Amino acid sequence: MEAAHRKEERKSVFSDYDYSNFYYGAGDDPLNLLGPFREWYEEAKPNGYYLYSEPLSSAPTTHVQVRSGRTNEVHELLNLASYNYLGVSYRDEVKQAAIEALQKYGLGASGSPILSGTFDIHEELAREVAAFKAKEAAILFPTGYSANVGFISSIMRSGDTIFCDQYSHASIVDGAILAKSKTVFFRHNNPMDLERKLGGVRGKKLVVVEGVYSMDGDVCVLPEIVEVARRHGARVLIDEAHSTFLFGPNGRGVAEHFGLDKEVDFHLGTFSKSLGGQGGFVCGSRELIDYVNAFGRSRFFSCNLAPPIVAGLRAGLRIVEEEPELRTKLWSNVAYLRRRFAEEGIDIGKSTSQVMPVLVNNDAKVFAVAEKIQERGLYLQPVTYPAVPKHKSRLRISVSAAHTEEQLEQAVGIIAGVLREEGICR
Amino acid sequence: MPLTRYGYRNAISGFFEFPTDNARRILPAGLEPVELHHGTSIFSMTVFDFTESEVGTYGEAVMSVIVSPLVKAGERLPKSAFYPYLVATTTRAAREHAIERWHLPHWMEDVEIGFESQGRKLSARVAAEGAPVAELTIGDYSWHPVSHLYQSFMRDGDGSYLANITMEGQQSEHEEETGRIRLYDHAFNKDLALSEVYDVPFREIWMRDGAQTFQPLVELETA
Repeated sequence: MEAAHRKEERKSVFSDYDYSNFYYGAGDDPLNLLGPFREWYEEAKPNGYYLYSEPLSSAPTTHVQVRSGRTNEVHELLNLASYNYLGVSYRDEVKQAAIEALQKYGLGASGSPILSGTFDIHEELAREVAAFKAKEAAILFPTGYSANVGFISSIMRSGDTIFCDQYSHASIVDGAILAKSKTVFFRHNNPMDLERKLGGVRGKKLVVVEGVYSMDGDVCVLPEIVEVARRHGARVLIDEAHSTFLFGPNGRGVAEHFGLDKEVDFHLGTFSKSLGGQGGFVCGSRELIDYVNAFGRSRFFSCNLAPPIVAGLRAGLRIVEEEPELRTKLWSNVAYLRRRFAEEGIDIGKSTSQVMPVLVNNDAKVFAVAEKIQERGLYLQPVTYPAVPKHKSRLRISVSAAHTEEQLEQAVGIIAGVLREEGICR
Repeated sequence: MPLTRYGYRNAISGFFEFPTDNARRILPAGLEPVELHHGTSIFSMTVFDFTESEVGTYGEAVMSVIVSPLVKAGERLPKSAFYPYLVATTTRAAREHAIERWHLPHWMEDVEIGFESQGRKLSARVAAEGAPVAELTIGDYSWHPVSHLYQSFMRDGDGSYLANITMEGQQSEHEEETGRIRLYDHAFNKDLALSEVYDVPFREIWMRDGAQTFQPLVELETA
């Protein structure tokens, strides 16, 4: 009886807690959270957390080989979990470019970009991405994360104020922390709340938004945000991690989509989403880029991007420029999936982009739903609190131009079947 | 000292974003506010409708800052930790009991607390000296029986203390942003920069038909 009670108590420990309970611990020993976390994680993993970090043993194409975290068996699954929105990272010309760069330059850059780590192809990629974005210059960062951290901390200082959307990516928040500026969060995609927060604030002000928000797939209401920011004398930074190469007549991003390319002060993007590669960049005037080159610590205290990656990105960028039909195909796939989800009664929230949350809205059930979906041949990741609010748990879909309608239909069938069995949709 | 039990009909809590600068002004040295985001901490208001206690039935409003818990390996992990910086009760007996036993800082006059149910929402109105000080409305979600451990830190002229508190009962917890708080310009709220406190809670907890049990008070060493 006592053993059963203890078992029940342990079970309640798992369901009552999550990662957010292990951020802070009082006491003098920084290791004092390790024991309680391990105790919880040993319960959490078999209850669904094994779905995270399952290793892939194939390229992130429309199908992937995934080793199950529960059984250790490798299964081939239809993939709607990887970014790779345009499906270029595994194209032959990209792989060939990377191979040739590997032969020519070797594996890594072997140096900081401001010392010995800048190669000719780094300069060429920066020129090419600046030209694509129709800006004077661009600067490369080793990751999208370091681009936000490095850029924000290079231009903002103690005493300044940074206004971030409450759903901002961690790299924006961490950039603000490193800048030592006062950080104010406004309600998600809410220009009225931004207006309220900006009121009466003096000094240097920066408003940071994202083109497409990564957990909900909704698009920034940029015209209203820019108008409010301008009225209060604030500069605007847009992180187009999930929108560069996709939105706008030329694929430059959400700022171009709204015709606000020139009104937005700072344009940031990544190579890891639409191109399926790695790295981040900032575009702007020559003098801006020279300044960031001098003060972007996350960049020049890191090794530069590996040459094979850079060469692959250049090939990927060429494909994007030469094949605008990839964007057309992506948006056709997005429209198809949105229509089919609506027909099946599947809730994807406010998404209007290639990022679609399939809302399960049940924190206890989301792992069981994800496991069933995976067992039926579809690779999706569950997202739970604290990455999203409590009871807003979901499965995140990344649509790619490489998906066929047959593949998308197969995915809809699997998702709808499982959600119906679990009583989540009609 | 034995366990001390307080039975309640309703206990509603709203968790609200407010500036970390404000949190630090309230907290004594040694307590760290939990930040939701960089620069944003958590103000919490809880209102109880106690039906059973050593000092009879009474209402209680607790204004708190959420702080880092005291975590020890091998011991039960608290769900969260509070620093109640102001407690108000409807009876003098309840107030004197809580000050003497738990070293909780109090509003030193009786307050009026009224609960009003509106469908799936419950509102609590608190008034002091005949004037409204706060109105808290919480919505429900789904109900489950729970037993959660919370920590409450107290500090007064005599020392620093920790109370481990178990909350049992039916619980609804969610982040649907259905609730609301109205804080009035009143001496009761002098510690808060009112315009900086979000009026919609990011988290709402409603417990009913349960008990709050205090373990014996722990005296803490502080630098």
